[in-house]
Amino acid sequence: MTSILELLRCEFRKTRRRYLIAAALIMTVLQLCWCLYGECTEEIVTHGWMLFLYQFPLVNAIFLPLLSMMIASGLCDIEHKGTMLKQLFTCTERNRLFDAKLLYGLLLITACVLLSWMVIVLYGFLHRFEGPFPLKLYLLYFLFTLCPTIMIYLIQHTLSILFQNQTIPCFTGIIGTFCGVFSMFLQNIPWLRKLLPWGHYGALQFVGMFGWTKETRYEYVYFETMHTDWLFFLALILSACLLYLIGRNLFSRKEV
Amino acid sequence: MFLQLLKTEYIKLHRAPVWLAFLIMPVIPALLGTLNYLANIGILKNEWYSLWTQHTLFTDYFFLPLMIGIYCSYLMQCEHLQHNWNKLLTMPVPRYMIFAAKLTVVSFMILISELWIAVLFIASGTIAGISSTPPYHSLAAWCLFGTLGGMVMAALQLGLAIFIKSFARSVAVAFAGGISGLVFLAKDLGNIWPYSLMAYGMNSNAPQQLMKTGYVPFILTCTAYILLFAILSSKILAKKDW
Repeated sequence: MTSILELLRCEFRKTRRRYLIAAALIMTVLQLCWCLYGECTEEIVTHGWMLFLYQFPLVNAIFLPLLSMMIASGLCDIEHKGTMLKQLFTCTERNRLFDAKLLYGLLLITACVLLSWMVIVLYGFLHRFEGPFPLKLYLLYFLFTLCPTIMIYLIQHTLSILFQNQTIPCFTGIIGTFCGVFSMFLQNIPWLRKLLPWGHYGALQFVGMFGWTKETRYEYVYFETMHTDWLFFLALILSACLLYLIGRNLFSRKEV
Repeated sequence: MFLQLLKTEYIKLHRAPVWLAFLIMPVIPALLGTLNYLANIGILKNEWYSLWTQHTLFTDYFFLPLMIGIYCSYLMQCEHLQHNWNKLLTMPVPRYMIFAAKLTVVSFMILISELWIAVLFIASGTIAGISSTPPYHSLAAWCLFGTLGGMVMAALQLGLAIFIKSFARSVAVAFAGGISGLVFLAKDLGNIWPYSLMAYGMNSNAPQQLMKTGYVPFILTCTAYILLFAILSSKILAKKDW
């Protein structure tokens, strides 16, 4: 039986010259340009470290689900287009194939999230943001960015591998992304962010902006850490595990 | 012959999931824009015009480019699947007409999307309590010029979708294009960049003013781009080995 490492190597070979890795990189660079392009004002230097922790979850909620959709669809579409699943099932276990594809996609996603995280930190140091670098908060931010992305990737991966027509996972991804972004604007309805996997970036946001009023606007603004809902985080991990098991089970029963 | 091709494209769109995107997606920026307008009503004093800036802020840079990406990718995806290009290109019709039919259908979809956006805009304004009469003439101009700008994006996206066989990647390109459009608009180059022409046509930045460069240069630029992308794509269709 083929080992998972061998399957991962196969996935890498399949994606060669298909520009999937390049497309993922371009998307990440685009996200960084979107956030970091422009003049680094005095306000950014003063509040920089906390400001980024406050702003980036919203940007992540726009870009990372779309990146997940693109990678998952790209990896699974290869098999659907070539009607390769039947052939692959004769070489390896269905579950192992599901895991290998999932793992490869997650590796790509993690690399993109890590790259984005490193560039943000580097930007802060290069522009000499005021105050010490809050390493603990940034590690927490990395965790709270990666986990919702994994959850979303699991949904996209399951849909992409189950449906031959890739428009279905794509529509789910796009509509989900925008509902997630929308939920982040509705501060009065916190349960909506917790309910929608695409809104989890907002539910796990732990830095808030205070002191903003209609009259003074940004003059007396300050940022502070808020309560972290670890119970929700645990529920997210458990639901991701459950989703993984459901997806794997459905794939193992899939008629090809 | 062309009408027959249009009918064929219509059949492909019959009960297609793109209509879901058409119905749902404009509702989200309309809600976001209205909430934003209500939250900043102290600063946004130009009533309908201010509301338009808030609506188009999200629509022009994220939602409409994605919708156009979806429309174009879906129409091309139908041909990429099951080697349908081979069947389509053996039909006794000139290849440029195949592209023109697809572009016409997408353009019609953009137009009805713009109309849906206009309906949502008026409904949002009424719910938000704007008492003055909506600027119907301006709204018609924004929608029409937005459609023309959108046609440029559609022509380019259809051309790109000939090469990009993955549905998701093609949509991602449209999304990236929408963001690039924002950058070009910020740099005052919105009137020449294909991905920002739609936002430029919809006057999303300063709706109370007439288009900065005037309508005639805008129409000429759009027409030139549409022709350029249509000719290039038709040539590619004619020469590409499937």
